[in-house]
Amino acid sequence: MATVKNWQLDRQMDYPYEEHRPKKQWAIVFDLNKCIGCQTCSLACKTTWTSGKGQEYMFWNNVETKPWGSYPLAWDVRVLEKLGYQHWDKNKPYSGKTVFEAADPAEKAVHFNPQDEDWMYPNRGEDDCTGNVSGGKYLTLPHDNWFFYLPRTCAHCTYPACLAACPRKAIYKREEDGIVLIDQSRCKGYQECVRACPYKKSMYNPYTRVSEKCVGCYPAVEEGKQPMCVQNCIGKIRIMGFINPPWNAREDNPVDYLVHKKELALPYYPQLGLEPNIYYVPPIHANREYLIQMFGPKVEEVIENYKKIKNDPITQGLLVLMGSTDNIIHRFKVSEGSAYAFDEKGDQIVRVPVTEPLFIRTPWDEKLGVIRNNTP
Amino acid sequence: MMKKIYALMVVSYLLWGQGLWAEGLIAKYVKEDLSKLNLEALFWKEVTPETIQLIAQPMVAPRPQKTLTEKLWVQVVHNGEWMAFRFKWKDKEKSEAGPLGKFSDAVAIQFPVKEKEVPPIFMGAKDSPVHILHWRAQYQKDKEKGFQTMKDIYPNMNMDMYPLEFANQYSHDEMLKKITEEQREVFVSGKSAGNPQSFQKIKGVDEMMAEGFGSSSVIENTRAEAQGIWQKKGKEGEWVVQISRPLALEGGSILKAGQKSFMAFAVWQGGEGEVGCRKSVTMTWVPLIIEDKK
Repeated sequence: MATVKNWQLDRQMDYPYEEHRPKKQWAIVFDLNKCIGCQTCSLACKTTWTSGKGQEYMFWNNVETKPWGSYPLAWDVRVLEKLGYQHWDKNKPYSGKTVFEAADPAEKAVHFNPQDEDWMYPNRGEDDCTGNVSGGKYLTLPHDNWFFYLPRTCAHCTYPACLAACPRKAIYKREEDGIVLIDQSRCKGYQECVRACPYKKSMYNPYTRVSEKCVGCYPAVEEGKQPMCVQNCIGKIRIMGFINPPWNAREDNPVDYLVHKKELALPYYPQLGLEPNIYYVPPIHANREYLIQMFGPKVEEVIENYKKIKNDPITQGLLVLMGSTDNIIHRFKVSEGSAYAFDEKGDQIVRVPVTEPLFIRTPWDEKLGVIRNNTP
Repeated sequence: MMKKIYALMVVSYLLWGQGLWAEGLIAKYVKEDLSKLNLEALFWKEVTPETIQLIAQPMVAPRPQKTLTEKLWVQVVHNGEWMAFRFKWKDKEKSEAGPLGKFSDAVAIQFPVKEKEVPPIFMGAKDSPVHILHWRAQYQKDKEKGFQTMKDIYPNMNMDMYPLEFANQYSHDEMLKKITEEQREVFVSGKSAGNPQSFQKIKGVDEMMAEGFGSSSVIENTRAEAQGIWQKKGKEGEWVVQISRPLALEGGSILKAGQKSFMAFAVWQGGEGEVGCRKSVTMTWVPLIIEDKK
């Protein structure tokens, strides 16, 4: 075991390989306050990548309703149960064990092995609320009864458990963008990655007899485009970019800005120790204890930061850039009511007004002398 | 602590195992055609099976927590051209892989490649390769019933259509009718990447080369043959598997009548989740004494 730096845990941790950060690290930020669970991302991914034989129940991108939904069945609960109770004090390094540190010496990581039937209900628990909203109840923040949608892709972790567990070293992390791939020509289908990935984002294809996973839409990323799940998000809740570790964070990098500078987004289940690279703006209405379990002890602070956006034109500008372009935004700026996005070369991709101009459409049309109505 | 226990297990195993196999396994000379597989051939009755002790693979994680296959019974014969092995081990269920999370029963023999050099027992090392014959129940199913389609693995499944497969007898689209299997396989990444796992295993056995754990690569068009049968024995069950190989496998290991070589073995119980490094293995090379032709 090597000792590596995990900034999400604010401490060193054990990992089977030495620390080796890629030149750039693929990352997605999701605003969970805006996800409507429409599954357009799931279908964009499915039609692009997993429409073939052996992929019938394979969703590299899925959206599950929390807390009851899960794909595969109860992945989160089962991983947390295997890891056991761990402690993390607010504003302190994580004092519990990661999946690597808590592993039996015979294993690379604490894990469970999902079975066939666990994958058969990709949208189990959809729209299930934690309880009924019965008579006399009124809305509070956070809500007494709640649910939220959790869209998930592979997190292209800095310390992937799939990569650690593969006995054939058929899984690799790309130097150029940090995307984690399974070599389709070398995998022998041992499913060690399926067992080891706590997020269960490595999947076995019974037809080809090898494992497959989200490829981060690398052909698009190589062309400077965001992945299909991001491009097709109709709620405009996602932005894909490249994240730097906090010691190299750049204020004009959209992902760095949301995660490091403004602390609006948190990695999910960081306590597992993989340094996952998908980040979430936590839903402000959901149960705090649940959110702390999922996003760590900084959740309250992050939700407070989110509430301050109404007075923060720069963050507002960045949020309107989300979903405004298919291209990867390497740099952004907000000035004089407009948000600007720039590509890797520094060329402008798009300019968006932070606040859309307001037009008031009177009910009476003077020119035509008719009453306007909304009947199409 | 665990490491100490393993070290102790390994040392005691080596001391015990070495004594037991100092003489090695004798490949008896027979005149029958061994290129044809016959698990019940008469000559098998004339060869006493040797008991090989196996131990849960202890060297690399992920590894099994306990030894599932403790004993492997092995018989070896040759006819000057071919060598045949007949294995027997206890396994309470037949496991042929297929669905997600299911693995195959399997057995493998390993040979040194270079003459007068015995490579590290654990699948060799860099520049010290080993040659492996790997039989899997899953591969045998391929051999007997053809490549397992999704419909074979999940008989009750239903699928509207796969990419480029929506042309049917009622279709008027001549373009779609002309689409070849190769074009369709672009959507099947294992196949389009040329992974040997993703194609039918015609012989039921893989021939591989390796230079250390996790480095095995399949040799195309193997000349080895294999056949296995699982039979119920009371409450237990057992596999009986024959693997036959030409004595000389160019590019792999070359065995010669009248000479000595070495072998190592591994067994997987797929039903218990054994796959890859999760296996029972021999911890020392077993000498193979090849009888001279009579």
